[in-house]
Amino acid sequence: MSKEEKKEQIMKTALSLFAKQGFYSTTIADIAREMGMSVGNMYNYFPSKESLAKELLIYTSKKFGDEIRKINEMDISSKEKIKKIVELYFKKAVEEPELVDYFMRVYLSNKEIFNNGCEGMLCVSAFVTEIMIFFEEGVRKKELKNQDFFAAFGLFMGYIGGLAFLNRENILGKPLEEYIEPVSENIYNALKA
Amino acid sequence: MRLKPKIIWIDGVGCNGCSHSFFNYPEISSFFENFELLYHPLLDSDEFNVQNCDILIIEGALKSNFSRLGKDLNSLISELFLKAKKIIALGTCAVYGGIFGKGLVFDKNEKGKFYKCRDRVINIPGCPSHPEWIMYVLNMIKNDKKIALDEFNRPVEIFSYTSHMGCTRNEYFEWKIDAQDFGSKEGCLFYYQGCQGPFTHSSCNKILWNEVNSKPRAGTPCFGCTEVSFPKKDLFKTETFMGIPANIPLGVSKRAYLTISGIAKSLTNERLTKKLIECENEDKQKDN
Amino acid sequence: MKINKKIINKIEGEATLKIYEEKDIIDFVEIEFWQYRGIEKYLQNRHYMDALVINPRVCGICGHSHLLATAKAIENAFGAKITQKAKILREITTGLEIIQNHIKWFYITLFPTQIKDRSFTLKALRLSSFISKIIALISGQFPHNSYIIPGGVTCDLTNLEIFKLEDMLKMLMDEIQAVIDKDGNSRDLEKFFENLPKNIGKSLNRFLVLGDNLFFSKNGKTEKIKEEKTTSLYSNVLYEDKFYEVGPLARNINNSLVKKIYEKYEDSIYTRIFARLYEINLIIEYLLENIKNIDVCEPSYIKPVVNNASGISVIEAPRGSLIHKVEIKDEKIKSYEIIVPTQFNLSNGTKENPSAAQAALMSERKEYLDTIFKCFDICAVCVTH
Repeated sequence: MSKEEKKEQIMKTALSLFAKQGFYSTTIADIAREMGMSVGNMYNYFPSKESLAKELLIYTSKKFGDEIRKINEMDISSKEKIKKIVELYFKKAVEEPELVDYFMRVYLSNKEIFNNGCEGMLCVSAFVTEIMIFFEEGVRKKELKNQDFFAAFGLFMGYIGGLAFLNRENILGKPLEEYIEPVSENIYNALKA
Repeated sequence: MRLKPKIIWIDGVGCNGCSHSFFNYPEISSFFENFELLYHPLLDSDEFNVQNCDILIIEGALKSNFSRLGKDLNSLISELFLKAKKIIALGTCAVYGGIFGKGLVFDKNEKGKFYKCRDRVINIPGCPSHPEWIMYVLNMIKNDKKIALDEFNRPVEIFSYTSHMGCTRNEYFEWKIDAQDFGSKEGCLFYYQGCQGPFTHSSCNKILWNEVNSKPRAGTPCFGCTEVSFPKKDLFKTETFMGIPANIPLGVSKRAYLTISGIAKSLTNERLTKKLIECENEDKQKDN
Repeated sequence: MKINKKIINKIEGEATLKIYEEKDIIDFVEIEFWQYRGIEKYLQNRHYMDALVINPRVCGICGHSHLLATAKAIENAFGAKITQKAKILREITTGLEIIQNHIKWFYITLFPTQIKDRSFTLKALRLSSFISKIIALISGQFPHNSYIIPGGVTCDLTNLEIFKLEDMLKMLMDEIQAVIDKDGNSRDLEKFFENLPKNIGKSLNRFLVLGDNLFFSKNGKTEKIKEEKTTSLYSNVLYEDKFYEVGPLARNINNSLVKKIYEKYEDSIYTRIFARLYEINLIIEYLLENIKNIDVCEPSYIKPVVNNASGISVIEAPRGSLIHKVEIKDEKIKSYEIIVPTQFNLSNGTKENPSAAQAALMSERKEYLDTIFKCFDICAVCVTH
């Protein structure tokens, strides 16, 4: 196993532990134990829990970004792209709920951890850039309304993030997949030109 | 070329601004020493005659039913084209049409009336064109040097630069610190004020205007006056799609530009977020 | 009576004269301009700020005055205010534009009608490029900058530039003494008149000043202006139904030195040329006094409140009163109208009711036509906006 692959595995393990027992109560030793590694060896991969948290963010942002980039490069309408993005997000939320958890519970609510090196959009840039490109091209093709970026970004991400959160809390009446259609429709209606 | 190339300088539909800009060339006496001016629209010369010349300079656009020197402008230019070895289309009007009409080789993005003769034409756009650009081209012709041209027949030595290169606001561009309004030496004019510097071909900020300044240095956005789109609509506004500039710096992909901009915006250059010079009013100084 | 058509060029474009003459004496001259460019129409439906870029392109030699007139017309519509700093900077750049204009007009346009000598051209270009440099230090470039905007100026100078500007203005003042000195002596002017009578080209003796920028004071009201169509592609401009002379003679006639010459030669070519040249000294002196009042800490720009309104501005441009009118709706230009000084002086009136330039030519010998005509400092591109 290459060092990169090992790192990825550590991150996945950390992710599930963070989701299970919270970011603060999870220690490097917990992660090492789960991985069957020595704590000393762990430090060869990540010098601190903070650096692991940061790389985890970059890693997930890039993974998400890569997926959205594929959608961006498809020769389909903005309306169809919205649906594909919602689909992608909800699928992830169901298959890897700890990922969404991590983003909502750790990143967004513990910003102080990320102040050193993850300011602003630094660690989520891969993902945000793809959303920017999606919006920009939609407006350029006159399919989406020209408006403030964050007004649109907040509407899109806040909405689907919120639903993923409700799903995790077992509040939704139906399976998350069943919301793909109406949610995409609502987003499109709010953003269309 | 001959010892003293003969020049005929004609004005089409324009404002004579390229002539007046040329008059600012600091070493202008060398122009009179090295070239023979058969006709010029402003400077004293012999009576106008359609005659052979080495270099025909046309400033201003073409337009139908426009009279010049007692002839129809378009046919006058056609006659002169036959008599000239080289033709310089001077200024954005002559190059693309600009505000007033049609260009010689190009009519905006279409082929112009003299497209077929483009091998003999050198385009020097700009509203106005810079005096040093004109002298550069004239000297190259006189010295039989080959002028490399880009796809718009513009000399590469001038138009491979962007007007962004050398701008005093470049640090603000790097760190994505935008001028919020007019009238400050701080901030980049690219995001709100409509500056077209990063995607406009010209050497304005390299050689400067009148040897001392440039529009962006003086707080005015670059209006892209060397490009075919000049003058675009909403010249003091940056066109954005969902907050993202519709035109991005030349040579970079949108993805790469957005990535680097996002990163720059996320970081802070403390020094550049403040006024460069804190000003104290004179009254206040007296009170102290 | 013979009728001759003649194209006069090298006047920032060209004009066509229809000359009625009897034994080489001009009886009457009709004036025509045949080059319409359509700037006013071009502005329609554009954002009002675009006019700050388009309008300087009316003219390559006095475009900066068109910029000032544009900004002031919009400010008039919005009720915008500017700081003293912005006002002084505007006066410096537009004042200097007047000076470069006069220098070029005297040595490049007028001189060759009497004396063919390239050294005078070079003298003018050396001076005017230095003047352009001073303007550019403030405005970014010359010609064709857009640094004057509704609410102020775009530049934000430091004391370093202000002191340099002052030094440059002083140096210009020194250099100008070799054109015309503070007492009104000018070797070049006398040389120009070596073989030319001073008292020809007398005109209407009616003077109009509508702008009050720099040190000029108005003697009339813009509401009393009327435009009327001519047979060619421009309009006559009348004040209270009469033709008037505008320009440096009109606005400096109360200056003691100009007055003295006027009393001797009336409104002849000599007085007209003298007033224009002497104005250079008056402007530099005025600018040198005012540059001291610049406080770099004042804001360069005060954002105006945009509304739907009409605005008008009148300024004294190099050739006289320049009027801009704008109508703005939803930030867009609904209509735009420009009246330029040359329209006043070169209206095409009748023999009974001639314009200033026509009156000056009547009963004069044909050999003086070019000189008398050009002493009005004609701007053909402005007329054909």
